[in-house]
Amino acid sequence: MAATLCSKLLPKQGWVPLTQSVRHGSKAVTRHRKPLHIQKQKLLAVTQYIPPAREFPPGAYPSHTKHVQEDNDLTLLMKRELKKLFEDCKMIAVVQNSSSSAEDMMTLRHRLYKHNITVKFFPNKVVRSFLSDSIYCNMGPLFVGPTVMFVSKEPKVKEMLTTLRGSPQMTLLGACVDNTLLSAQGIVSYSKLPSMTVIQGEVVSGLSMLTSHTAYLLQRHPAHLSQLLQQYIKQQSSDGSAEAAPKAEEAT
Amino acid sequence: MCWDVVLAVTVFLFMRKGESGGDMLHFSHDAFGASRIQELTETLPVRHVVLPDKPKLKFLNKVPNLKKAKKEAKKLWDIQGPAKSANTFTTGQYAIVAMGGGYLHWGHIEMMRLTINRKMDARTTFAMWRINAPYKPITRKGLGQRMGGGKGAIDHYVTPVRYGRLIVEVGGKVELGEVEHILTEVAKKLPFPAKVMSKESLATLQKKQADMEQNNQNPWTFKKIAQGNMLGIRRVLSPFDLHNHGRFTGKFHFPQRV
Repeated sequence: MAATLCSKLLPKQGWVPLTQSVRHGSKAVTRHRKPLHIQKQKLLAVTQYIPPAREFPPGAYPSHTKHVQEDNDLTLLMKRELKKLFEDCKMIAVVQNSSSSAEDMMTLRHRLYKHNITVKFFPNKVVRSFLSDSIYCNMGPLFVGPTVMFVSKEPKVKEMLTTLRGSPQMTLLGACVDNTLLSAQGIVSYSKLPSMTVIQGEVVSGLSMLTSHTAYLLQRHPAHLSQLLQQYIKQQSSDGSAEAAPKAEEAT
Repeated sequence: MCWDVVLAVTVFLFMRKGESGGDMLHFSHDAFGASRIQELTETLPVRHVVLPDKPKLKFLNKVPNLKKAKKEAKKLWDIQGPAKSANTFTTGQYAIVAMGGGYLHWGHIEMMRLTINRKMDARTTFAMWRINAPYKPITRKGLGQRMGGGKGAIDHYVTPVRYGRLIVEVGGKVELGEVEHILTEVAKKLPFPAKVMSKESLATLQKKQADMEQNNQNPWTFKKIAQGNMLGIRRVLSPFDLHNHGRFTGKFHFPQRV
């Protein structure tokens, strides 16, 4: 009865069932993964593991806290030597040693020693740590790579340059001459200067010349006047005598 | 881990004794003896291990000894999720660890038993089961039978295994390298992904998982959303998900999830 009623009342074409029965039983198949609900898929995608940001490897950046290293006895000894060296010596030249052989170094040392210039080797780390606390801190950037120090008590720049010309593997970087930091170009121009005694003589002569010139200038006008007067007198006297002579001739 | 030098020396003497027919006094006066002993103490570390009386794997029954065999439901939850028991080492050092759930048949168990017993050195190594004999009945209908007519007869028995369970534990005076090839050969043939692990590597794995959970930079975790029922998500989640926080789907484990 109901079926006949339904068949009469409900339209046949384009009928869509209002409820759809879907079987949600437990699935016995465990061979593959169950298809996930879209909302669960989204949830799984949202809640994925995110690892923490990668840490920088140690040593990639300098540490904020300064690493203070205790000086050992050898370093202290070398620093003391350096201090003495900087106090005593007037010329301290820094030279880059680009793989010169032991023999070359020996000959260079020998040649330099003739002019009382000694070659000193110090570790760059020690030199830089010494320079950072001293007044010569501006010399610090010179001590990079294999460096050698030429040291002498007198500023014998010219001799050093002539000796260095013989060994091309040594490159002059800079020098501290008479407590003045000089570049390589500066050293060359320093070497072209004449010696101290000549300069002093020039200065003295220049100064004495000025004073003598002043004295000359000051004395010139009175001298000139007196000369003129003398000449005048001479002329006058010569005229008088000339006049007197005829007068005397006349008189006689 | 404890290294015993004295034990090593005794082991060495024992081995030499076996070779040279037991002339201990003569051997100790041997000019090369002292240096050889030193070499061996470095290369042959020995642990404090007491080998059991029967170091080999025992035979496991194919069918449990029951008065009345009863058919059971499928009970798929017995392979789902992480293992609650037998997931830590007892006396051994190396083990085959299940990396997913599955059922072990008696055939798998026999394969493991025969391979390991044949290849391991019973004087230095021992092996022990960490699984029970097959106890879960699986029913099948006979071939060519029409559907219906109730549940079929019990065909065979299986052992359910969950993720993280140790299957076989191996220990003794051995290094991992000596037994690894045996265990990997066996682990490849199991019906679930399985790995050979030492005590340390299992601890590392667990620590890695804990670290991942600790250091997760994602503020939205599965646990938070599922337990808070955000946007009514519980509608599509099962109680199983609530417990495991999306790390498992059925017997499968997602190693990258926390």
